[in-house]
Amino acid sequence: MEVEKVKRIGRYFRLLGVFAKYSLMSALEYRINFITGMTVEVGWMLIKLLYVAIIYKAGTNIGILTPDHILLFVGTYMLMTGFYMLYFGNFASLPGMVQQGELDLYIVKPVSLQFLVTLRRLDFAYLLPELAAGVIMIVTGWRLAGLPAGILPVAGFVFYLVCGCLLTYSLFLLPYILSFWIVSVGGISDISNALWDFNNMPSLIYGKWFRRIGTYILPVFVITNFPGLFLMGELSPWACVWGVGAPALFFALTRAFWKASLKRYSSASS
Amino acid sequence: MITVEHLRKDFTYYRKMTGIKGSLHNLFHRESLTKEAVRDISFSVEKGEMIGFLGPNGAGKTTTLKLLSGILYPTDGRIDVDGFLPWERKNEFKRRISIVMGQKNQLWWDLPASDSFYLNKCIFGVDDGDYRDIVTELSELLDVKELLNVQVRRLSLGERMKMEILAALIHRPDILFLDEPTIGLDILSQKKIREFLKIYNEQWKTTVIITSHYMADIEALCDRAVIINRGQLVYDGKLGEINQLLGKRKLLSLKTSATVDPQAWNAFGLAREVSAAGAVLEIPQEKVKETLTAILAGLPVEDFTVTEIPLEESIARFYQKEVAMP
Repeated sequence: MEVEKVKRIGRYFRLLGVFAKYSLMSALEYRINFITGMTVEVGWMLIKLLYVAIIYKAGTNIGILTPDHILLFVGTYMLMTGFYMLYFGNFASLPGMVQQGELDLYIVKPVSLQFLVTLRRLDFAYLLPELAAGVIMIVTGWRLAGLPAGILPVAGFVFYLVCGCLLTYSLFLLPYILSFWIVSVGGISDISNALWDFNNMPSLIYGKWFRRIGTYILPVFVITNFPGLFLMGELSPWACVWGVGAPALFFALTRAFWKASLKRYSSASS
Repeated sequence: MITVEHLRKDFTYYRKMTGIKGSLHNLFHRESLTKEAVRDISFSVEKGEMIGFLGPNGAGKTTTLKLLSGILYPTDGRIDVDGFLPWERKNEFKRRISIVMGQKNQLWWDLPASDSFYLNKCIFGVDDGDYRDIVTELSELLDVKELLNVQVRRLSLGERMKMEILAALIHRPDILFLDEPTIGLDILSQKKIREFLKIYNEQWKTTVIITSHYMADIEALCDRAVIINRGQLVYDGKLGEINQLLGKRKLLSLKTSATVDPQAWNAFGLAREVSAAGAVLEIPQEKVKETLTAILAGLPVEDFTVTEIPLEESIARFYQKEVAMP
């Protein structure tokens, strides 16, 4: 049974590899578009970097966070944005697919429909600039702030990054699944996308209650703040658990909601 | 192989009144209506059989195929496809079926079709050796071997459809559902696809259900037809017997050497077409000999042919409910 499970997971990773390869090959068919996409993403990134530059210039601390810490947090945010943008296009096209009945040919494939529909197209033009800048900012902030760099801190940081990726996928897919029920979800998805931008800056700049809501009710702050807070030794034991529990909980919720919603799929007339 | 009993599928929708007034009214109050897309349909299909689904637009043909392939949940009734309930969407079931829809595509637009085939190979877990054999064999049969490495967006509609069919067969399904596979294609492509399906069905004993608006597809491929109209089954039987139900009538086409008074034809049968050069008469089958003898004796007939009433016309009468189910 366990062997079967491992085989199945291996198969899904192999498929993901094929999706990645094909997406990149498709994107490279249109070189100008690929380069333009990357340039636009770099432009957005520079705007975000301005915030950090201002903080450095002003030399102000936010609570316990020095400008070096803030660099690390904003770097984490960029990295996570890159990972989110990698598959975001699939979320955005879900309402159209539901409306046009385009799930038909995916439903009959012997793999998870959710996997196929939400991860089949991967956008590397968005990921690459954010990944490069994010990693540089994280490493720089980490060193300048003098944070521990042993195996345990690095492993913990990466672990909470992975948890953050799972939470992003689960939390931000939820509004798009609503398209099975209400077809057009533009209004709701705009709100959820706006929530993402609250992570522009470390959550410590927000008030106590706002922070609690953003951590425990709509846990967007968990995604980009927990890796950095763990590194600083600022995560309480309860928060350490929640950093793992929230992704697991929301992933289970997303799966259940997806399965229930799929029963409502009526396909479109031919 | 396939058993369908009292199958029903309803769709709910909202009534929309015309104009902005109707839209504002809908914002606050929506009247829910039900469309019965499939109403109490029962039939069964044997292994290796190839049957044609016929019916006008909106009759419920595609909905029935979607129910059989597990894309839609039935409202009521029972479907058994090779021992599976399609709507449970078990992977083992999905490995045994395949569906091709003329209006939808599964190929990656910017990549050669062979890449999409490889993806299907990975999804269905087909062995490397089997995969190579299938692609080689089917691409030769479909005459697309030279096009395997051309981006899908550069292919013609006909070539693309052949690739779609090939992609759907990578896992060698036992059951194949084809929904308008030749729609919009030129006559040559239609013919090639028909020939391919015939060979494929004979060679692999794949059970096939096909819907098409082109009678030529159905006549070339299927012995048996299921006619659906307004969600109900109106005929299930041999294609060749449809005309029998229409009172066994024949068409007699006559060419004359001199102009005949148009009224004169009416004495011999129902004149469908009359011109200076001749006429087409509809007459009961048993009166063919007698009528022909009388016409040849009295009118300057140069040439004549006796034919069946075109199948399309017979089926149209089923659509209009002029003929009752036997």
